[in-house]
Amino acid sequence: MTELRFHRDVYAGTVVDEAVKRFGAFATFALREEPQHWVVQLTAPTPEREARVAGELGNYALGTTIKHGGARQR
Amino acid sequence: MSETSVEGLPVELISADLARGAVDLQLDEAAYPLDALYGAAYIFIDRCYVLIDRPAAGRWRVSLSPKQAGADAAQLRALAGEFANELLSCAWRHKITQDNRRVIEQVTTEAIAGAMGSPSLDDLAKLDFTGQALEDPLGIAQSWEEKYKKKKAEK
Repeated sequence: MTELRFHRDVYAGTVVDEAVKRFGAFATFALREEPQHWVVQLTAPTPEREARVAGELGNYALGTTIKHGGARQR
Repeated sequence: MSETSVEGLPVELISADLARGAVDLQLDEAAYPLDALYGAAYIFIDRCYVLIDRPAAGRWRVSLSPKQAGADAAQLRALAGEFANELLSCAWRHKITQDNRRVIEQVTTEAIAGAMGSPSLDDLAKLDFTGQALEDPLGIAQSWEEKYKKKKAEK
């Protein structure tokens, strides 16, 4: 299981939700909220695939947040 | 985690994790605003997995992991250096934009106003010309005749 922690000052929460839906077919996800972070836990059949899905999901969340003008603009 | 220092760089600023194939950069928010961080990160997301975190107030942590697995220490060092250079460039451009924001807004406003074309006759008819256009305490705007005409008493 891999855990990704997206800081609320950096990542838009709606974008993290969108990213999880986008990659939903490639791994199993569990979402959790903390005071400072959006936390995503993901599990994939192999460690290689898990690492790749985690990386791509992180990039998708960051890239989309930037395209929308940052975490605070949404 | 098996974090090691990167050759020639302080470990409290840059550290590499060869097992994970990633390099972490610790950055000061005062020097690198979030917009600059976004700019540099966006350039690298086509070849790296980029994760930004805020471990403490006023600090950023950027984790870069090349998409091609098996990066060695030299490759991670080069990656961190490239990112740091790009980040510096983005931070500098961000500062220039902030410093010149008013000028940029004024030029843009004038350009848009100019693109709207010249005013119509109706627009000109609505203009108020009754007010004093400018103050002229020295009488510079007066004509020669107005300024030096003989008064009735002098005739």
